[in-house]
Amino acid sequence: MAVERRQRKSPASKEDARAAKAEAAKLVGDHPAVNGIGITRADGGYGVKVNLLDDADDVRALLDRIDVAPVRVEVVGPIAKSAGL
Amino acid sequence: MRPRSYGGGRSDFGRRALYALRPMRLQSARDLKAELTSSLLDLEPLTPTAIGAYGIRAARVDVVERRLSTFALGVAPRKPGDYRLAVRVQRRGIESSPHIALIKDLARGEVDVRYVGRVVKSATPWHRRLQRPLLAGSSVGHYEITAGTLGCFVRLKNGATAILSNNHVLADENRAARGDAIIQPGRYDGGRRKRDAVASLQRFVRLKAKGANALDCAVATLLDGVNCEPAVLKGSGRLQGVTDDVAEDAVLEKIGRTTGRTRGRIASFELDGLMVEYDAGNIRFDGVIEIEGASGRAFSAGGDSGSVIYSREGKLAYALLFANSQQGGSNGRGLTYAHPLSTALERLAVELVL
Repeated sequence: MAVERRQRKSPASKEDARAAKAEAAKLVGDHPAVNGIGITRADGGYGVKVNLLDDADDVRALLDRIDVAPVRVEVVGPIAKSAGL
Repeated sequence: MRPRSYGGGRSDFGRRALYALRPMRLQSARDLKAELTSSLLDLEPLTPTAIGAYGIRAARVDVVERRLSTFALGVAPRKPGDYRLAVRVQRRGIESSPHIALIKDLARGEVDVRYVGRVVKSATPWHRRLQRPLLAGSSVGHYEITAGTLGCFVRLKNGATAILSNNHVLADENRAARGDAIIQPGRYDGGRRKRDAVASLQRFVRLKAKGANALDCAVATLLDGVNCEPAVLKGSGRLQGVTDDVAEDAVLEKIGRTTGRTRGRIASFELDGLMVEYDAGNIRFDGVIEIEGASGRAFSAGGDSGSVIYSREGKLAYALLFANSQQGGSNGRGLTYAHPLSTALERLAVELVL
């Protein structure tokens, strides 16, 4: 009897996300709008977070998922030291 | 008392009807306010006895405030280009006083009367004031900077107690020298070098303009006679220790000079290539922890630099806050950036005092 098997997508592990983060850095690390690439919780597992100074469609278009790791892109604007008022 | 004039030659009824149709210009509203202010001076002042006649809550005389609030006059916009006289009443009884009746009459109804109650000055929160003994979370800084936050208390290898905060708070971004005065509260909060020195700069991890930084931290040794309550987290218990690992969904807290005690969660970690604006220009950081505020509030703001971030459950010190953004986060209130506290303690060769 043939058994139908469905391929189940398992959430990305932290190691998967770290590997994807390194790949994301190669792809967009030098983009002028990118300000920081890290690891975040996503889809029940881990993913890559790409911070932007300003919105950049080309970064969003380029990155949606790297291997099994989802990619989250967020505009955070400029980041400044927290002293000084 | 001089009657208010809206134009010559018309009957009183006509003037009122015309006035009701015309928008009141800003200058007219200002003139009316000035006229009424001088007219009200001719009336009997609103003394406690007079106010009592219009209705005051019964209470012993010695518990009734000596300065009785009355009302204030101003200008209120109604719509663009149209204004009214604003009357803000601080006691209910005054709404039926002859003073308000006179105002309404002279303003011919072009008045916005509202009860606003007692108005008090905004008290300065404890974390921006002088604190003796010293407490984590209070305003502090090198005497040349505005103000940052006292993160926690640490012990040097020689046994001396010191305060831990950021390089840019205690060492003025590498510009300070060992022995420089650290003041509490910080200068922006009224602290002065000669009067409010509590510590002297001991050592700091230099901020590098080129390459990646991991830390923005410094320690300053307490001066003789300056006491502290090392583990106290005012309003939140006591620090219990240090950790380099918290659950990724853990609720975190910090107490900072500007925003006080706030809560948040980790938004991302192992964040590399983060460019942060300093006086010297943009400086790169790797290995950063990103935190978003909870309950619709920002986790931090300018002046919170140097705050220690700890787990709400367990009260374990986890990270040292050093930067923030104005955008981002699931609540849109900006993100906070910190580095692991354990790494800072190790590099500075100090241990947390509990």
